Amino acid sequence: MAMIIDEQVATNLYFDKNFNSQAVKLLPGEYYVTDKDILLVTVLGSCVAACIRDCYSGIGGMNHFMLPDGGGDVSNPLNASARYGTYAMEILINQLLKLGARRGNLEAKVFGGGNVLDGLTIANIGQRNADFVLKFLQTEKIRVVAQDLIDIFPRKVYFFPKNNKVLVKKLRNLHGTTISQREKDYRQRLDKVNSGGEVELFS
Amino acid sequence: MAKTILAVDDSASIRQMVTFTLKGAGYEVIEAVDGQDALDKANIHKVNLVLTDINMPRIDGLKLLELLRKLTHYKTVPILMLTTESSDEIKAKGRAAGATGWLVKPFDPKRLLEVIGKVIG
Repeated sequence: MAMIIDEQVATNLYFDKNFNSQAVKLLPGEYYVTDKDILLVTVLGSCVAACIRDCYSGIGGMNHFMLPDGGGDVSNPLNASARYGTYAMEILINQLLKLGARRGNLEAKVFGGGNVLDGLTIANIGQRNADFVLKFLQTEKIRVVAQDLIDIFPRKVYFFPKNNKVLVKKLRNLHGTTISQREKDYRQRLDKVNSGGEVELFS
Repeated sequence: MAKTILAVDDSASIRQMVTFTLKGAGYEVIEAVDGQDALDKANIHKVNLVLTDINMPRIDGLKLLELLRKLTHYKTVPILMLTTESSDEIKAKGRAAGATGWLVKPFDPKRLLEVIGKVIG
């Protein structure tokens, strides 16, 4: 049976004293959706995060992902990278719809794709992730209402889905060792597993 | 004559990938954006196979499956579910409603074509 690249629900819940709010911290490969007034936080290097919300109900969510190396052109719809990226985005959108969001009401804010990873085989990996997320949202006709992409710094993103506020802090003085290591580990996980899900015939 | 597949998904990106895969293998493809759209098109075009997502607005994939199985032409036509859902519980519901098979996303184009070849080849 093929191994599945499985996007995981973020489980790191804490109380953020600075914002006096319940918060969820997302790591690479995680997503979280909510209809509550809570804070979603993540730190991005070359990964991207899509903050998507229903602009009427305030149901919102965030993911944090990067594309695996599909060894080819991401604009080719059958490229393994594009298929995985589409999957990561679809998981987030499906969970929002299950919570009651309406597809036609969705709008997005996208962040990350910084050129901050050293020693990786793919040049401009952040650019590639950023290009993918913008193209995906355009195809899905989900309006991008804010973006802060590419550049050379890691970012810390604070998303308040209920009131549609996002704060982005560029981590100019951070060397980014932990961020880079986390993203490298995530990337290695992505590159090792098969990008196809399981198949079962009933008859 | 090329066999026709009805590909149902509310995601334009997924429809694009699936259609690209199926047309590349010589199938005719009709796209539908949700269960209601699929039902309308299934009534007009008597397709050879239905490939459907589950989580969709208006009519979801499981309801579509139930409704199609009530139509004379679709009692025996293979209906494959292509979905992010992988729990045993929801699979059991699909199986009970008459699904032919279950493919969990992200889909692998080669494996999708293998499965389709098996059921309508």
